[in-house]
Amino acid sequence: MENFIEFRNVTKRFDDFVALDNVSLSIPRGSFVTLLGPSGCGKTTLLRQLAGFAEPEEGDILIEGRRMNGLPPYKRNTPLVFQEYALFPHMTVYENISYGLKLQKAPKEEMDRRVAEMLEMFNLTGLEKRFPKQLSGGQQQRVAFARALIMGQKILLLDEPLSNLDAKLRVEVRTELRQLQQRLQITAIYVTHDQDEALSMSDIIAVMRKGRIEQLGTPWDIYFRPVSRFVADFVGTVNFLPCVVEKKEGKSLTVRYHQQTLTFDTEVDLRPGEPCTVVVRPECMTVRPEHAGEGQLVGEIQNYSFLGRYIRYWIRCNDQTLIVDDSNPGLTGAISGRVRLSLDLPKLHVLKDVGNAPD
Amino acid sequence: MAGGTTLRESIKEMKRLKNEPLLLVAIVLIILLVGYFTIWPVIKVISVPQASDYAQLFAKRRWISALKNSLFMTVVSTLSCTAIAFLFAYVVSRLNVPCKGLFRFVALLPIVSPPFIVALSYILLFGIQGIITKGLLGLHVDIYGKFGLWIVQTVTFFPYAYSVILGVIQKISPNLEYAAYNMGATRWQVFRDVFWPLCRPGVAGGALIAAVNVLCDFGNPMMIGGDLALLPTEAYMQISGWYDMNTAAVLASALLVPALAIFVINRFWVGKRSYVTITGKEISLTPLKPPAWVKWGLFSLTMLVSLFVLLVYGSLALGAFTKAWGYDWSLTLNNMRYVLNKGGQIWNSIRFGLLASLGASLLAMVLAYIVQKKQVGVNRLLDFLAILPGAIPGIFLGIGFVMAFNEPPMELTGTAAIMVLALLFWNIPTCYSACTAGLQQIGASVEDAALNLGASSFVSFRDVILPLLKGPFMSGFVLSFLRSVTCLSVVIFLYAPNTIVGTISIMGLVETGQWGSAAAFTVTLISIAFTVLKVSQVVLRRQGIRLEL
Repeated sequence: MENFIEFRNVTKRFDDFVALDNVSLSIPRGSFVTLLGPSGCGKTTLLRQLAGFAEPEEGDILIEGRRMNGLPPYKRNTPLVFQEYALFPHMTVYENISYGLKLQKAPKEEMDRRVAEMLEMFNLTGLEKRFPKQLSGGQQQRVAFARALIMGQKILLLDEPLSNLDAKLRVEVRTELRQLQQRLQITAIYVTHDQDEALSMSDIIAVMRKGRIEQLGTPWDIYFRPVSRFVADFVGTVNFLPCVVEKKEGKSLTVRYHQQTLTFDTEVDLRPGEPCTVVVRPECMTVRPEHAGEGQLVGEIQNYSFLGRYIRYWIRCNDQTLIVDDSNPGLTGAISGRVRLSLDLPKLHVLKDVGNAPD
Repeated sequence: MAGGTTLRESIKEMKRLKNEPLLLVAIVLIILLVGYFTIWPVIKVISVPQASDYAQLFAKRRWISALKNSLFMTVVSTLSCTAIAFLFAYVVSRLNVPCKGLFRFVALLPIVSPPFIVALSYILLFGIQGIITKGLLGLHVDIYGKFGLWIVQTVTFFPYAYSVILGVIQKISPNLEYAAYNMGATRWQVFRDVFWPLCRPGVAGGALIAAVNVLCDFGNPMMIGGDLALLPTEAYMQISGWYDMNTAAVLASALLVPALAIFVINRFWVGKRSYVTITGKEISLTPLKPPAWVKWGLFSLTMLVSLFVLLVYGSLALGAFTKAWGYDWSLTLNNMRYVLNKGGQIWNSIRFGLLASLGASLLAMVLAYIVQKKQVGVNRLLDFLAILPGAIPGIFLGIGFVMAFNEPPMELTGTAAIMVLALLFWNIPTCYSACTAGLQQIGASVEDAALNLGASSFVSFRDVILPLLKGPFMSGFVLSFLRSVTCLSVVIFLYAPNTIVGTISIMGLVETGQWGSAAAFTVTLISIAFTVLKVSQVVLRRQGIRLEL
């Protein structure tokens, strides 16, 4: 796939605060790319640079190989769906959706036709004469999508567009949005701090931190092969096991965690004797009562929380508390007392401790 | 947003203006205009007197007492204004009592009236020919002086404090009071520990607004102050009686200092202390009910004040149709005929008011837009220029215009232009704050959305900002018009025989004891003001716009 959008060494400062620190990112045509990170990480700033609301101090921004720097927002053709929708409160649904066409002086019949298409696509037919304040949150949001998509651009920028919806609707829209993007073959850049949204919709996720891209990869990479404690911790729940390398033969790594050795494959370069951190997701461990045998680790259940589709246990093991999810809760309630934990070795991941201190 | 930017950032922002010539021209024009018509007059007034003239201020006993009296009246009248304002605001917003509409009306009346009408009515009620003192009680009392002025200023200026305090009280969630009640506080403790502390910034803000109005008040002291020396009236006497510009300038400068101080305190101290956050949520919860005796006690007090205000306006209306107040109580239309003969002056009031408010609201709208929505490096300077006229006493601005524009390149003395310009710049803060509030209501990204869809800066301003600002713009316009028509202090130094406006005539009539004609004139002005207010409210409501005063 060719690169549709490119950020080249983009830097942006606000006074002494570095919002974007030498960011480079290539976005293939037709892909769904998510900028994920905590507030203040620079994700929205990066998106706004692309839309032209702010200019980078250094670096270039290209769309289809064309340099965008210095071009005002209204000449960029980068439709954006805003977090709070930013619908024009004094315009009807029809006027909101058709505004971009009106600016291009499109003929009335064409405007009517394309607005009707959009209303149909977003299930808004019949609401065209309403004002934004007469719509529900979900309807407002669909108007915002329709307004952004009516121009037929092959690019769509989204700035946390789901954050104002209630939880259930958010999950529904997630799927619809992804299908829509694939059907229309749009290149989408999506900004969010919600890991579920990022994992469920994206082709590529860029995890951002302090103005830099900390990791770029598929949802699978990000989740199972995080490059740092920050990424591991930000995306999903995680256990960090402090270990020491015993031996490394080819890809096969053996580490010591207290009295236990763990052997699994990794690409990470480690030397015997080197301290390291093993990353284990809560669902990559199985918990059984101690007498059931099996399992590398022994611990004692401290607490649990029943969430329907799974039970989350807090288990005291060695000198730390591990979080373990049992995704098939029994009918009679939670386990208690001493337990054994077996680790799903292929899903273990390791981080070098050198230069990757916990924060 | 203004503020928070370093010099380096500002310079960078200014450099970017090269790409937006229209914006650059607008900014330069605004700075030149506001600078020339507000800063230059201020500099003139302050710089013309010599050091020896200023020394007079502390040497001459009359000036020392003028200074003392002005400050004394400010303190006492502000206290009573604030107390009554709080009472009204509390009753209107927190109590379930009848007649709230009346209370609101009473608290609006003085705002749309000429500033001296309370003084005039007070004279009609309690003066030597007063309907109560002479007519009912047969007394012969001297009402001119501190006490009369205190009563009059209280009635005149409490509404200004009221609107500020009401605004704050309405945003205090009754939930907070319920929370304290729930934790075991008595109703009195809830009031003392929760409600009152939350009100305090609003009360302070309201008090300061009242204070600056009392301090700069010219109309009331002129009519009812008697021998009492006050800074604004003394400054006027110096010019009208002795043609002594220098001394007038010194007195006006002495007035400017406390006025600026109050203004600065209000803006930078009270403004920062407000706890109330604007969530945009309507508070629909019923507030905690005070005991019945408190409720009806407060109601009675409010009713008492309201009746007094109504009495004031009633006597004015009666005066307008009475043959010879104090001697011949028979009804007549003579006074109204007199006003009709002076129709030109009424027309001047309307004409100047319309032009000035149109200019002020247009200029203020552009200013507010640039300050709120553009990063131009000089946002703080522009903001300062826009609010500065609000800190300048009317009398000071009037003297400033006389001194600044009686020589080339701007020789405006005696023209209609000088009246309009003075009123225009005097009204900029009013329109500016209306537009600023309106702009802050517009979500940050709404304009971005227009740009994003392909609208240029100008087109997005035209299509998005302008339609959304219609309400605030009209509010500012109407309020400015009301202020202009009822203004006396600014124009008293600027008029010529053919540019006399209503308020100036009224002052002349009061000075010569022609109460009937003065009352008729005043009633006419208030009627015009109220008609304009009501008509614009109705017209705008049809377009879904609420007029905020």
